[in-house]
Amino acid sequence: MTHSLPVPSAEVPPQGGIRVRGLAKRFGERLAVEGLTFDVRPGEVFGLLGPNGAGKTTTVRMLTGLLRPSEGDAEVWGHSVTRDGESLRKVVGLLTEQPGLYDRLTARENLRFFMKLHELDEATAWPRALHYLERFGLGGRENEACGGFSKGMRQKLAIVRTLVHDPRVIFLDEPTSGLDPESARTVRDAVAELASEGRTIVLCSHNLSEVERLCERVAVVRRRLLALGPVRELRRSGQALDVRVEGDAEVFRPALARLPFAPNVLLEGGRLRVMLADESQAPEVVACLVGAGARVHSVVPSQRPLEEVYLDLLKDGVA
Amino acid sequence: MAFRPRRAMAVFWKDSLDLRKNLGLLLSMAVLPLVMVTVPIGVVWTYVSQPDHSDLRTVALFYDPTLPLGASAARFLIDKSLTDWFGMFLVMPVFIPILIASQSVAGEKERRTLEPLLASPVSAAELVAGKSLAALVPAVLMTWFAFALFCVGVDIVAWPLVQAPLMPNALWGFGVFVFAPLFAFFGNGVAVLISARVAEARMAQQLSALVVLPLVGLVGGQVAGVLKADLGYYAIQGGVVLVLDLILLAASIRVLDRERLVSRWG
Repeated sequence: MTHSLPVPSAEVPPQGGIRVRGLAKRFGERLAVEGLTFDVRPGEVFGLLGPNGAGKTTTVRMLTGLLRPSEGDAEVWGHSVTRDGESLRKVVGLLTEQPGLYDRLTARENLRFFMKLHELDEATAWPRALHYLERFGLGGRENEACGGFSKGMRQKLAIVRTLVHDPRVIFLDEPTSGLDPESARTVRDAVAELASEGRTIVLCSHNLSEVERLCERVAVVRRRLLALGPVRELRRSGQALDVRVEGDAEVFRPALARLPFAPNVLLEGGRLRVMLADESQAPEVVACLVGAGARVHSVVPSQRPLEEVYLDLLKDGVA
Repeated sequence: MAFRPRRAMAVFWKDSLDLRKNLGLLLSMAVLPLVMVTVPIGVVWTYVSQPDHSDLRTVALFYDPTLPLGASAARFLIDKSLTDWFGMFLVMPVFIPILIASQSVAGEKERRTLEPLLASPVSAAELVAGKSLAALVPAVLMTWFAFALFCVGVDIVAWPLVQAPLMPNALWGFGVFVFAPLFAFFGNGVAVLISARVAEARMAQQLSALVVLPLVGLVGGQVAGVLKADLGYYAIQGGVVLVLDLILLAASIRVLDRERLVSRWG
């Protein structure tokens, strides 16, 4: 079930963003990705969510020209992933899950290698690299061997390497993994800054609060597309009711479980958070609680956290 | 996709830089030339130090029963040792690229650097060219350097008996400058192929190193008197290796295909 609109849109200009149409990848008998269709607008930060093994990495690898799709096609900044591998790889930047640095080489040598692979003029590319090194707190460390860097420094250097050829589309796989909170914030700010420069960013992450903060829209995948849309709309796809009752809220759980729609109920600091399919179920919840003898102090409708929506989607996806 | 020499040179630059900083690998690379140079010099010195030893004539007659009565058995054995040792010397240009290329391809997988590398515009042919050059250049240079030391050493040690420079002769000169690069390419091709299919550099080295066994076997045949080595014999070996090189080149470009590497190791 796809929760929102995986509809081919005409709003993406041919020279920008990403257009994915019926993308599928098969490894032998195993179908890793099936019938993916979505668009990412230029300058958008787009979240690609899904559990481990859901096909996120395979999708990113197809969109960066590392794997050939078994079916379908996609255009990344106007370059077809099936026909324009070389030109595609010139306009995309990929931050892989592992930093993948050459430990015996210095930070400068690691970056110079990728400048050379992209056939860049080092005189112009190096100031850009220095800018990002400073931005990520690695200024002055460029002549140190990467083998001596901490996990966070390695991750930040890998991000700089991703940006060294000034890519128009950037794929970031868990960019803040292994970073301390301060560094994670630096990376998040940088992502927002890069998007504001008109770059398209695809963010794969298990950190849903980060996705919520950074992404305008998300796609939830589990081999196929389960949901696609703005984070706000996805959160609105189900609602929650925060109910404060007198005494021990836990005793009212069984009564709520007997409701015909058997809502999910969380107990949060003396409050009951009742998940609803739609707001028409709210009066029944209140009536049920009152009928069970609860003295209700307040009832506040709220949006469900993205995590809750995401987990429900995955449950539906399995079903 | 057009072949871009700049990208191949970038791979060569990075791999060479990495090699220069890998002290352990450099030391293991230096051991073989040391053996290849000192052992034959020691053998020649043994013959020169006792040229009239009666056993030498017995050994010489084993290899050539037609050896004239007045001919120096020591000189005969020196010439034979130098001709036979050339086959052993060829192990060096095969083995050194195996040490380097196994590290450079399987090492990319071990260090998880393969995916970022393949996400760049570099093509399979550029990758093969860059990595092969990074393995071949040091191997051939080391072979030539070892050959120079070998010539000087042999000539110094043999001088009291021969009173003339023995080395370089036509076989060695031609062989080291023409055959050695072909053999180096062979070792590199085998290592690239194997290291593209196994997970660890060490396993790639161990498996690739098995290709030197036929070479050692041929030298064993020469020492046992079963095979007679001369320029024609080595020319046939060189021709076979040239054909194998071309097959290995095509196969290497095929196995370093992105799809294949990423779906297997990414």
